[in-house]
Amino acid sequence: MIAAALAVTLFQSIDTIAPHRPPRTMAVDERLATDAHIKIGDHIVLSNAPGAREGDTLIVSALVRRRADPSEVARAEYRVRLHLDELQSLIAYSDRVDRFAVATRGASTTDSAIRRINAAAFGFQAYRSRDIAVETSRTFLVVSRFHRAIGVITIVASAIFLLCIMLLKVDERRRDVAALRLMGISSRSIVWSVMVEAAVVAVAGSAVGVAIGWTASLIINWHYRAVYRTPLAFAVVTTDIVSLAVALSLVLGLVAGFFAAQRLVRMSALELLSGRREKRPPSAVAAG
Amino acid sequence: MLLRLAWATLTRHRSRTLLATLGVAVSAAMLLDMVMLSSGMRASLQSLLLSRGFQLRLAPKGTLPFDTEATIPDASDVIRTLRTVAGVTTISPVLGGQLHAAVGERTVTATALGVDPTVQGDYEITNGRAPATSNELVASEDFLRASGARVGDTLSVAAGYDAQLRSFTGRRTLTLVGVAHFLYMAAEQRSVALPLATLQDMEGSRARDRVSLFMIKAADDVSVDTVLHRIERALPRVSAVSTETAMRQLDTRMSYFRQLAFILGAVSLGVGFLLVTTLVTVSVNERLGEIVVMRAIGVARGRIVLQIVVEGIAIMVIGALAGLALGLVTARYLNSILASFPGLPAAIDFFLFEPRAAWTSLGLLTGAGILAGVYPSWRGASMPIAITLREEAVG
Repeated sequence: MIAAALAVTLFQSIDTIAPHRPPRTMAVDERLATDAHIKIGDHIVLSNAPGAREGDTLIVSALVRRRADPSEVARAEYRVRLHLDELQSLIAYSDRVDRFAVATRGASTTDSAIRRINAAAFGFQAYRSRDIAVETSRTFLVVSRFHRAIGVITIVASAIFLLCIMLLKVDERRRDVAALRLMGISSRSIVWSVMVEAAVVAVAGSAVGVAIGWTASLIINWHYRAVYRTPLAFAVVTTDIVSLAVALSLVLGLVAGFFAAQRLVRMSALELLSGRREKRPPSAVAAG
Repeated sequence: MLLRLAWATLTRHRSRTLLATLGVAVSAAMLLDMVMLSSGMRASLQSLLLSRGFQLRLAPKGTLPFDTEATIPDASDVIRTLRTVAGVTTISPVLGGQLHAAVGERTVTATALGVDPTVQGDYEITNGRAPATSNELVASEDFLRASGARVGDTLSVAAGYDAQLRSFTGRRTLTLVGVAHFLYMAAEQRSVALPLATLQDMEGSRARDRVSLFMIKAADDVSVDTVLHRIERALPRVSAVSTETAMRQLDTRMSYFRQLAFILGAVSLGVGFLLVTTLVTVSVNERLGEIVVMRAIGVARGRIVLQIVVEGIAIMVIGALAGLALGLVTARYLNSILASFPGLPAAIDFFLFEPRAAWTSLGLLTGAGILAGVYPSWRGASMPIAITLREEAVG
């Protein structure tokens, strides 16, 4: 009898005590943790609407550092990560998800997996991760095209600048070159000397430019990493970029030097000395 | 006389002057583009946001309009509350969603806007008319191209899928009554608009009495900020965004372009300045004999300085004028690149020409031209006459 009464009491007590459910855990964006002074172990009440009186209490179990993902750079929103069922319950999303990530056994099986999923699916579509990456990086492809166009304009401006400087330099040395010509130095040697000089100017200029560019990239990364609070590298100076810049500068220098030198060798030594072009009859010009 | 002398000096070395002018033109073009870039997008977005007269937007708390999929619940209550706020004259609720139109064997998906057609501020009718009943819709040209539909056609549409039942959900038969130009949609984005209640009904329980945003017009005699603060007090669970707030958000997100514009503009101006300084300095060095002779025969030092400065300004101004034309061409090209940003409203221009931009560029370049002539003119005008004459005569 006593045993029966005890059992009834026990069962009654079990029935009336609310089931104990330990708080679930969540991970918090490092930026949110910094701004809201959240630490690991803190209890946070989450609700699906601002100012709601009720919500689920969760324990912060991890702080998450944002990945260096270009597509997220300009978005200043905070992020938290919850267990799927917790979020579904919190926002009344029932048994739904936005997407599945599916791992395949290798590249060869990916195509067949996509085909089979799409054949069986209704209302959703399977995509290759690579295609999604291309789609989400479209913003940066646009920025890259923009930078390239700006680069072309800069190259045109540099080419004109360089040609102008070389013209000024050869004009300054008309008398020296006239003396060389009178001494018997060939036009080819003069053209080469001017081109070598132009090449030296171009390489020296590009070396200074690389140093400025490298310093600028450090400042840009420091500044934009702080602005957007991301580990992303915004400006990168690579060997390829340096090689391209130096090679381009060298080619531009050589071309500018060649055209500038042509002005010197087309004039006679006397014209170079006097600084005035002699008017020659057409036959004389044709004869050279 | 002054101008004639300056012109004679510049035309003495035509190829050199031509190249310098060309260099300044490219720098001026870049400078104009960067001045346009620094303010163009802001002005363009501001003009777009105010184009239909709505100065305020209400979005779910903590978000910007259509920045997330969050919606505002109890839209009817919100409208009732808004009607009590002094200074609010027009309220236009908008719900965003998707619509799938069955076209033969295939489905064409479009962005759908549920609106009140009598007060909406999202589109302009270009052909046909606005929806007048619950079973009518208007669509963009891109949707018509993709679906092959025409005004007057009846479309079978759905708001979603049920993957388990393998069927469309929220199905309706709607009549296409007009073609619209959607102001805030990206280029080539397929869009449709239909009455708000119809879209809410099609989306089922998740959109019942919910909207994505409210667009609000404030009375002319009340400041927009005052109305914004009243709304925030009356509705603490929504974010009120004024055009100015949207501009500030844009400034934060697009600060990269403003800073790039500033840096490249400064570099362009620097390059133009260096080019003209170099040219005028070399030109003065070549003419030291002439300059000291002019001083020896009594020409005032100030006049010589002025002539050399005029040379610098002439190159800058001629180059700048050529550069402004070149800048407009390059701006159009650069704008066509940036216009392909995903999700950007087609009406937004990064490079918006405003006369102020041209005057700013011209002013900066003229200032640079004056500065470019200062050093060489000072040098030329301060040479000792006797010594320089002797050196120039001896050669």
